[in-house]
Amino acid sequence: MTDRSYATVNPCIMCQPIGSVMAFKGIESSMVLLHGSQGCSTYMRLHLAHHFREPVDIGSSSLSEKGAVYGGSENLKKGLKNLILRYDPKVIGISTTCLAETIGDDIGRIIAEFREEEDIASDRIIIPVSTPSYEDSHNSGYIKAVEAIVKEFTSQESGSHIFNNKLNVVLSENISPEDTRELRRILSDTISPDSFILLPDISETFDAPMTGELQKIFPGGTSHSDIADMKNSAAMIGLGITSANRAVSYLEHAFDIPSQELPLPIGLEYTDRFVAALSMIAGTDIPEAYQKERGRLIDAMVDAHKYVYGTKVAIYGDPDNVLGLLSLALENGMHPILVVASGKSPGFAEYAMERVRQVKPDCDVTVLEDVDFDAFNDAVKKAKPEMLIGNSNGKYIAKEMGIPLVRVGFPIHDRVGAQRILSLGYLGAMNMLDRITNTILEAQEEKLAAKLSQPDRYASPDWLKFHPAEA
Amino acid sequence: MPEIISVVNTLDERQPYIALKQAKKKGTALACDDTSIAGAMSQRACVYSGARVALNPVTDAVHLVHGPIGCASYTWDIRGSLSSAKETFRTSFSSNMKELDVVFGGEKKLSKCINELAALYSPPVIFVYSTCIVGIIGDDIQAVCKEASMAHNIPVIPVHSEGFKGTKSDGYKAACNALMQLIGTREPEITSPYTMNILGDYNVAGDVWLVKPLFEKMGIQVITSMTGDATCETISQAHRARLNLVQCSGSMTYLAKWMQTQYGIPFRKVSYFGIEDIAIALRTAAGFFGSQEMKRIAEEIIESETRRIMPEILSIRNRLQGKTAAIYMGGAAKALTLIKGFRELGMEVVIIGTQTGKKDDYEQISYQVKDGTVIVDDANPLELADLLIRQKADLMVAGVKERFLAYKLGVAFCDFNHDRVIEFEGYDGFLNFARELDASMNSPVWKAYGSRLKPAAPEAHQRTGPEEAIKERDNMHDHNTVTVQGSVA
Repeated sequence: MTDRSYATVNPCIMCQPIGSVMAFKGIESSMVLLHGSQGCSTYMRLHLAHHFREPVDIGSSSLSEKGAVYGGSENLKKGLKNLILRYDPKVIGISTTCLAETIGDDIGRIIAEFREEEDIASDRIIIPVSTPSYEDSHNSGYIKAVEAIVKEFTSQESGSHIFNNKLNVVLSENISPEDTRELRRILSDTISPDSFILLPDISETFDAPMTGELQKIFPGGTSHSDIADMKNSAAMIGLGITSANRAVSYLEHAFDIPSQELPLPIGLEYTDRFVAALSMIAGTDIPEAYQKERGRLIDAMVDAHKYVYGTKVAIYGDPDNVLGLLSLALENGMHPILVVASGKSPGFAEYAMERVRQVKPDCDVTVLEDVDFDAFNDAVKKAKPEMLIGNSNGKYIAKEMGIPLVRVGFPIHDRVGAQRILSLGYLGAMNMLDRITNTILEAQEEKLAAKLSQPDRYASPDWLKFHPAEA
Repeated sequence: MPEIISVVNTLDERQPYIALKQAKKKGTALACDDTSIAGAMSQRACVYSGARVALNPVTDAVHLVHGPIGCASYTWDIRGSLSSAKETFRTSFSSNMKELDVVFGGEKKLSKCINELAALYSPPVIFVYSTCIVGIIGDDIQAVCKEASMAHNIPVIPVHSEGFKGTKSDGYKAACNALMQLIGTREPEITSPYTMNILGDYNVAGDVWLVKPLFEKMGIQVITSMTGDATCETISQAHRARLNLVQCSGSMTYLAKWMQTQYGIPFRKVSYFGIEDIAIALRTAAGFFGSQEMKRIAEEIIESETRRIMPEILSIRNRLQGKTAAIYMGGAAKALTLIKGFRELGMEVVIIGTQTGKKDDYEQISYQVKDGTVIVDDANPLELADLLIRQKADLMVAGVKERFLAYKLGVAFCDFNHDRVIEFEGYDGFLNFARELDASMNSPVWKAYGSRLKPAAPEAHQRTGPEEAIKERDNMHDHNTVTVQGSVA
């Protein structure tokens, strides 16, 4: 449906609090308490459980009418107390909802009162983040929470102040647990396992192994000592470039740590940049194992190139993930005819067009941001891509257009394995390229089968034309 | 009466909501129907969620959520309700309030959203849901809706579902209040002297389509099913029914009572789940209308359908016999009917709980379950985990949030919530249910649950007799017992 300026139809974004939850779930022994009505936490638990297929517990201050009128202090304090009693988290993130923000609770004051009234030990850390749902999107909620976490831990007087010669790697957008594991592997192999601090780290907390035990809070996540130690690091990489990485800027300014911002390492070029930067920081050559991995990726790209060349794809999702996938599509000769970012981010359009100019300057690409799926649908109808690459919410459009959807990103609630989708690094590029290529091959086979099944028609030369590749 | 004792470790304040059924002892009534305790990790949602689940299945309506984007995002097509015609209800509409709308009021934007959507979709009705923020800034959605109704000549109905103003049950009421605005506004074409409505069935996975034909076979005209597969038109004709059959009583009894007062339509509470309850539902309808012919057809259906599904039910029953079940449902009606359903499959319920049960509901539940069953209101994950272990449940039936909790504890699971994709109502639905239980409980994957691999014994590569080989194979996996780490003492 066209020409809307007011109503949103099928939203591409979620609200800020869910982004903050994803960030907090990436640090050790932490729980989130949403200050607002009961529904917010339940809806987000549902949304995250659908995607990660894990139990997801998020507290709520369960604000009622009384709380909304007289202030939510009592509820928030009670919520904190009960959460500590039941889960004993060492870190509690308090994210505000639109309700709490609008009634104007002074969260800082309430926390201070609570600490005093309940005599909360100083090693139990409570981190407030202002995440009203009427501002920005889940992406900004993530960035804000990571910033708040870093500020809280590095401002503590206790802990080491000794230069640690480590590398901080700070994400500005959510990636899958599998991607996080891959990132850790690359960092371990290039920098050494003890010389980097990755924040946030959801590799274990949102994809916990079956052990025969139910953990109240899943082990894993960036350790508290590591986060506190981030102020003593030698260098810093912010992963994700479309939005300002607030935690990185803070650390850079407050502790004078040199930083560089790199795109998420998706596809050959962006992974090259990441691995090269790591080797430079480590002062070593590129590990031979990675030269081999890289060589295998290039081998895979050559194997696939004729199948994917010129295939029109529409890519959508969170901005930095989309930028990486755009890069991957371009360097493999695909035609990313439509590129859509879920929320608004200052750098997305510019970086996307820059990447297009670098690889395929004559390529006709439409870049959209801050649109809903209905506007995306209109754009898809106009651009007529042959494939969608993005999260599950594109399934309606894919179905309507009769084109395949390669699922990647968040949320993926209608397929298993979202937590294990690998798109980062050379291995991730191979995985994505294989999936995309095989989807194209399957679609071609279906077209072929449709022709072959026509009884009165023999193999005609025109279908041979569209399967040019050798066996 | 169930006795309230410390069944599990939980917050002191939560203890009155958990009880053990012990027939011989007199206990106090289970606490229920309260707002959730902050920080207790309730599985409930909010007023808006109640309104949304109860109303959203109206297929041809535009369901416009007035509020910031989140509320619409998280509820976009999450209900597995199916439609036999329009699919408008599966689209997520939001006024996407921004900071300026919060500061200066959202009425203007809302009004423009309605205008836009009315023009683009030409819906027969628009429901406008208010969310938390609307209740705080005080947008007069009543007035906006009234004006829009006049301008577009369609009902634009406000749904007063501000998230914080009560519980999920209040949301059901808000949905019913919205439906009341439609009922009685159109006249149906009457094709049978026997007319009825199906209330409290949401056509999840097509449930209604397995039930409605049974009544039609009996010669009954089903005017509407609310709200599963309902349209604006059929709802507006609902006042011409002679009988309301209410299934999900938690959400729709309020509407049924109103229809009784307003239009003199009596209602009966029924369930279409399980062999016994379907039979009761069909007999209730036939008994109400008093037609001998109808009664005969009902008996025929019951007899032939039961005979048709029984062989498979019995073969599954053999595999399920003696297993134990945990029930945690949104509403009490479903919990109650599940007790019977499990019994028909040879299973015993050992835990039963609901999010929104009332005092009467829990009394009935307590009467239905055997001694030693734990009854719980507004449970949370840690309580459920402790209970699953304590009560040694083999299977849990609940919704998505509970699914992964059960799995982590090695407990089989059956999804009986709004996002399931298989029908559970009617005769074939019950068969589906039995197959689901069978699949989850008898899957070989549980054999690996909680195991850790050990190195092969040094002599493993050597030749051994058959007995030793078997022993060795068993030793390879070291099985753990299930625990919840760090339970609160």
